Amino acid sequence: MSTAERRRERRRTTPGEVVVMAVLSVLVLAVSFPVLYALLNSFRSYAEITKDPMGLPTGLSPDNYVRLFQTTDYGEALLNTLIITGGTLVLLLAVVPMAAWGIERLGGRSARWIYLLFIAGLMIPFQVRMIPLVSSMNQIGLYSTLTSVILVHLGGAASFGILLYCSFIKGVPREVEEAAEVDGAGRLRTFWSIVFPMLLPVTSAFVIIQALSLWNDFFIPLVFLDASSAGTINVALSRMVGLLTSQWELIYTGAILAIVPSVVLFAAFQRYFIKGMSIGAVKG
Amino acid sequence: MSTATAERPAALAGGRARPPRATRAARHRAVMLLFIAPALLVYVLMVIAPSIQSIQLSLTDWDGINPAYEYVGLANYQDILTSDRFWNATRNTLVLGLGSAVVINAIALGTALMLDKLHHAQGFFRTIVYLPALVSGFIAATIWKYMLNFNFGAVNTVLRDLGFEGAAMDWLGDNDIVVGVLLFIVCFTLGGNTTLIYLANLQSVPQDLVEAAEIDGASRGQVFRYVTWPMLAGAVTVNMTLMMIAGWTIFDQVMVLTAGGPGFVSETMAFFIYKVGFGEYRAGYGSAAAIVLFIVVMATTVLANRYMRSREVQA
Repeated sequence: MSTAERRRERRRTTPGEVVVMAVLSVLVLAVSFPVLYALLNSFRSYAEITKDPMGLPTGLSPDNYVRLFQTTDYGEALLNTLIITGGTLVLLLAVVPMAAWGIERLGGRSARWIYLLFIAGLMIPFQVRMIPLVSSMNQIGLYSTLTSVILVHLGGAASFGILLYCSFIKGVPREVEEAAEVDGAGRLRTFWSIVFPMLLPVTSAFVIIQALSLWNDFFIPLVFLDASSAGTINVALSRMVGLLTSQWELIYTGAILAIVPSVVLFAAFQRYFIKGMSIGAVKG
Repeated sequence: MSTATAERPAALAGGRARPPRATRAARHRAVMLLFIAPALLVYVLMVIAPSIQSIQLSLTDWDGINPAYEYVGLANYQDILTSDRFWNATRNTLVLGLGSAVVINAIALGTALMLDKLHHAQGFFRTIVYLPALVSGFIAATIWKYMLNFNFGAVNTVLRDLGFEGAAMDWLGDNDIVVGVLLFIVCFTLGGNTTLIYLANLQSVPQDLVEAAEIDGASRGQVFRYVTWPMLAGAVTVNMTLMMIAGWTIFDQVMVLTAGGPGFVSETMAFFIYKVGFGEYRAGYGSAAAIVLFIVVMATTVLANRYMRSREVQA
């Protein structure tokens, strides 16, 4: 009997398991406390929060949620974050899988050097390239545009993408694409119609990991978007923390709204998520 | 070329009207290089070129705005290595980066061991354990900032309500505890991805080995020490390396919670570079600090990799 089969064998729930379940539940609740606290307080007013910080909301009034969009830049920031996340993902998929395929099918010493050049990026912290990038973006008039944030993200994510795709492509047989070429399909068409669909498992992992990290990123938009832009949700929130010192309820509301898309993404693609995270273990 | 002549019979044997193989190979190379070109171009422009430019800027007194600057040799590096503020930032980075790597790995391993013990509803518990990891460090830190407020924060309120008036502190404004508070917040997790990696590795530990040890009368502790733990060696190294590399660039929590304060007490290397480069208009100096950070990250990665390989040989 294999290990997996033995694992799946039906057994009665032991007292030990019940204890483990209880401990895990308590731990999850404890670690989630800040989020639950913010969620509860997103339904309370500033007066209520400061008068009784540990009080419960009296009702589910959407007041704060409405006011967040009416009185702050949050709506625009939300849109910016969507554009940056979506735009970066689309561009990454347009260039990275193709490049990884090129590296693997080029072979030889030059391919090895190109691969190593890409992988070296994993060791270059963003701080190392940030100061020259800001000045270059300024010179070409892109500073404080969403384009600059997308471009900077592209460079940063390329290394990880090449690593992920190359290791996957090594296991894809050459015959498929050679057969297609004999039929006379153009290389580019061969790639998009035959190769790219075969890369789906790694693409789903890559998209999920990147979507989450792009959505959650704070440092890059902080550096590349100044006050002329509404920023991303994280940047907008950090500005509110500085300006709206007496509107805690809006900060809590904004924090909760920032988490919602991640949770929705997780709920929708849970299976791919867990699998993707183990494929993406290289990044962590 | 000789290869071309040698290939020709093969091409003839193929019996189709195709260009000679050497030409086809050259065309194949050209097409593959075109496939690589767009990604390579963006990558070089956005990562490699600015990194090299950083080295150049680190040798200047550039303020980040004025187009004119002068070369000052290694003066910036000298300033950095003799600056108490930089060493303080380095120490904080070590405490937060290395400290959180150790603590989070311990938490994640503990959580994974518990999950591995479950034969029922393991999928459900794995899901809810992962949920907190969906909250970014930035958002968590923002909420904590308010929960730690001296007057109206949740933490001090609970402490006062329970009668521990003296335990209510200015958590983020006290020089002596602020770095500890930051470490606590960074470590307030169930491990997320780290836990998943450990769980995957635990599930690949052969049950036969565990059972054999149990039949030989090994206690639970002995099974873990002599069977499970050695099998996890690779996962531990991978997770520690990943967390340490991430730890070297801790920024979000510091920016949100303390902005490096009080004074410079809670600055990390990443925050120091940001502050000096953009806040204090010392782009040359900031670039030098960034290069120092790069050397540290590279050394960590290379050493960790070498260590990992030496372990693999043993196994």
